Amino acid sequence: MFDELWSDLRYRARALLRRDNIERELADELRFHLERETEKYERMGLPRADAERRARLAFGGVERAKEASRDGRGTLLIESTLQDLRYAWRGLRSRPAFTAGVVLTLGLGIGANAAMFGIVDRLLFRPPAYLRDASTTHRIYLSWTESGGQTRTEHNTEFARFLDFKRWTHDFSSIAAFQTRTVAVGEASDARERPVTVASANYFDFFDARPVLGRFFTADEDSVPVGKPVVVLGYAFWQTEFGGRSDVLGKTIRVDRGLGTIIGVAPDGFTGLSDQGVPAMYMPITAYAWGLRGRDYSKNYNWGWLELVARRKPAVSLIDANADLNSAYRRSFVAEWDLNGRKVDLAATKPRAFLGPVQLGRGPQAGQDAKVVVWVGGVALIVLLVACANVANLLLSRAVKRRREIALRLALGVSRGRLIRQLLTESLVLAALGGIVGVAAAQWGGAALRVLFLPDQPAGVITDARTLGVALIATFAAAVLTGIAPALIGSRSDLARSLTGASRDAGAVRSRTRTALLVFQAALSVVLLVGAGLFVRSLQNVRAMRLGYDVGPVSIVSMNLRGTKLSAAEATLLGNRMVDAARAVPGVSLVSPVASVPFWSNEGRALYVQGIDSIQKLGRFILQAGSPDYFRAAGTRILRGRGIEASDAQNAPRVMVIGDGMAKLIWPGQDPIGKCIRVSADTAPCTTVVGVAEEMRVRTLADAREHTYYLPMAQYNDTPEALLVRVAGDAADYSGTIRRALQPLLPGAAYVNVQPLRELVDPRMRGWQFGATMFLAFGGLALALAAVGLYSVIAYGVAQRQKELGVRIALGASRGSVVRLVVRGGVRIVVVGIGIGAVISLWAGHWVEALLFNESPRDPVVYATVAAALIVVAMIATALPAFGASRVDPNTALRAE
Amino acid sequence: MDDRLDLPQGTLDLLILKAVSLTPMHGWAISERIHQVSRAVVQIPQGSLYPALHRLERRGWIRAEWGASDNNRKAKFYELTRAGRKQLDAESDAWARLTKAVALVLDMG
Repeated sequence: MFDELWSDLRYRARALLRRDNIERELADELRFHLERETEKYERMGLPRADAERRARLAFGGVERAKEASRDGRGTLLIESTLQDLRYAWRGLRSRPAFTAGVVLTLGLGIGANAAMFGIVDRLLFRPPAYLRDASTTHRIYLSWTESGGQTRTEHNTEFARFLDFKRWTHDFSSIAAFQTRTVAVGEASDARERPVTVASANYFDFFDARPVLGRFFTADEDSVPVGKPVVVLGYAFWQTEFGGRSDVLGKTIRVDRGLGTIIGVAPDGFTGLSDQGVPAMYMPITAYAWGLRGRDYSKNYNWGWLELVARRKPAVSLIDANADLNSAYRRSFVAEWDLNGRKVDLAATKPRAFLGPVQLGRGPQAGQDAKVVVWVGGVALIVLLVACANVANLLLSRAVKRRREIALRLALGVSRGRLIRQLLTESLVLAALGGIVGVAAAQWGGAALRVLFLPDQPAGVITDARTLGVALIATFAAAVLTGIAPALIGSRSDLARSLTGASRDAGAVRSRTRTALLVFQAALSVVLLVGAGLFVRSLQNVRAMRLGYDVGPVSIVSMNLRGTKLSAAEATLLGNRMVDAARAVPGVSLVSPVASVPFWSNEGRALYVQGIDSIQKLGRFILQAGSPDYFRAAGTRILRGRGIEASDAQNAPRVMVIGDGMAKLIWPGQDPIGKCIRVSADTAPCTTVVGVAEEMRVRTLADAREHTYYLPMAQYNDTPEALLVRVAGDAADYSGTIRRALQPLLPGAAYVNVQPLRELVDPRMRGWQFGATMFLAFGGLALALAAVGLYSVIAYGVAQRQKELGVRIALGASRGSVVRLVVRGGVRIVVVGIGIGAVISLWAGHWVEALLFNESPRDPVVYATVAAALIVVAMIATALPAFGASRVDPNTALRAE
Repeated sequence: MDDRLDLPQGTLDLLILKAVSLTPMHGWAISERIHQVSRAVVQIPQGSLYPALHRLERRGWIRAEWGASDNNRKAKFYELTRAGRKQLDAESDAWARLTKAVALVLDMG
């Protein structure tokens, strides 16, 4: 048995390595056989020639016997594959333009998919780096019903709740709290805001990460409520700020308000579960919270800022764990209400806690970005399909040109299966080359994509093993998709007709297939372009939308006192000096302190209006406060009445300016000027409405329930959140100047942060930006591919019909009518494609509706534009070969055969 | 011509092994010998002879060597190996039992 195996192996190896020798021996052997056979017949009295013929007849096909013998040697598959590869390579090298076109087409398709997969994978599929046993690790989500009746889902909660969960659940081996905050790191003017993860000590148990230096912090250092000020540096921060030196251990660094002692460095690539950038460092949650609050924060439920991650015990099912978690949450809810002395109404509030994906992008609160990315991933797939359709078409037309060659090979006894394999090998070689180009394209384009989609993720190669795997799969898919039809149809050659050259248009099947492929391409292009159109229109709508303030020329200046204690008088004085100093900066035109900053922080107070039961139920009312310069500084328009004036001093009659939407909501059909609103309590004195202004978009871009009202800063009775600074020109150009002018005013370690409003607003528009950019890019790509496909098919068709067209011209058809004839054929294909594509788009439209902005997924303008664009492109793609056809010389055409 | 029989599956290998078991032989001689010995009943399809020879060689049951034929031409001679002899014994045995069994069945009733 063993011998047999060994002999088999040795034989095959020899057969493979000494192929030429063996081939020669085989030929010799068969020749010897035929000679002997011939001699035999000669001895029987036949003349030499007859004897030879007889011998050959008795033997059957020599080539077939050779092939079967090779099969017997057991190396046929490898040998013939090598042979096919050589053959394919020679064929492709002899047609460089064709090869380059196909490789580039497939490369773009494969590259688009590899790059998009890299993004989608990082955003949705891949567990965070170093995470241990991702299958039992969950993020805790909480949901409840608000008094207005809406259900709210959150992944942030309070420290007391975190303790409740730890105390009252049994099915979890570990529950950790963490949060990544933007915190000032460094001394005074060198301070920079950096992402810092604060976490409970058991956070690190969720990862298989070992510190490259020192250690992580322990439960002792994370004692409630006062933790030790120790920090573990992030690897990148350690490299850039400390040059990767190992003597950092024991050094101190100023973090927010206190000094932290460096006790370790996290490994390279470790970011924990942070989705807000690469943390510069990690510190105990208790140390941070105590430093920030200065009092015990661990017993009340009014500071919901923590994210929770839990590890389910291995033996516990997800359902049981969820039930366990949920009952703990209800208990915690009751505890909270007991503490606050409120009536418990679990039936109306329906508190629910559940386990969800660690990646927020997959959870119930997935951002628009994550959804758009998935769509764009699908789009990339469509681009690959279009690319494949195109290449299949090109290969088909080649198969047609090679009909005689193929027929000849069939006649020589090459089996059909072998031929199909050969043709498939060719498309495999093409796809493999395309795959190489694709990976290169993904590497290059992936970097750009990452900037667009994953600005907060650590840099790293986009083409890692997983992405390469996907590129490989895409390559094989492309090879099969592009190769199978041409191979099957190509090998179905009609021998006699092909060889005699009589098969001028035996290609009915082929041309049907090619037409179908074209229709398919056109339809997919329509789908992509409609998507692009919808996103572009959404982006236009978002951009054109009045936010209630100007974005470009406005900066937000905030200061971080980092624990420096100021009396009320000192704080006011500092505030005034800041305003004056900011106003003195060249280029700065107006400055106002503000209470709310769009997409950053917002204020609200209870409002009471006579005759309205609960204003809170009507919507969410955001308070803005500002100086008399505020409206001009922000660019907010006063629509009626007046704005805030210098006379609206602290002791003057209380006034307010309300948003137009709010005015319509509270006093529909009435003049709001002069009306009375009570702020904070229903016993407070009247605040008189003196004007109506535009409403600001503060929390969301499009929530119709969100309204704003404006109070004079002098009557606001609270410290402003920030300064709003208006400059002449682009706010970003002034950030440095403003920071330098204001920093010297600040005491101690306090420091100033200047942020152009654009940086706060733009991320909110990113989803549409991505959508528009990517759909346009991929849609354009698909359209270009479809156009090339159409062109090549029409050009081929014209070449095939040369004789017919020649006859038409000879019979007196005008050249114009020939052009029309050809163009009409091409346009008809595209029109069918447009119809199919439009139907698909209409059907798929409601899926994207939620991702659009003030845009119907059936926007006729978009559909009409796309249809027109496609028809124009189709006309151009067909007109070129059509003009060629019209110049056919009837004489040449008719004599061609 | 018409009294020729098709070879049942797998018997070709057995016949070849038997043929080369007596003396080393080249392909043509093998086919001639089987033809003669079977009184012209068995005609080996010549197209399958060589594939079969190569297959048997791969399995290590026969060994090939180039030598001079009777009229002094170069020919490839096949001879049985030790493994081949064992195989031949086993297969002839199985064949004998099979034919006997088939005969019994056909004789019934």
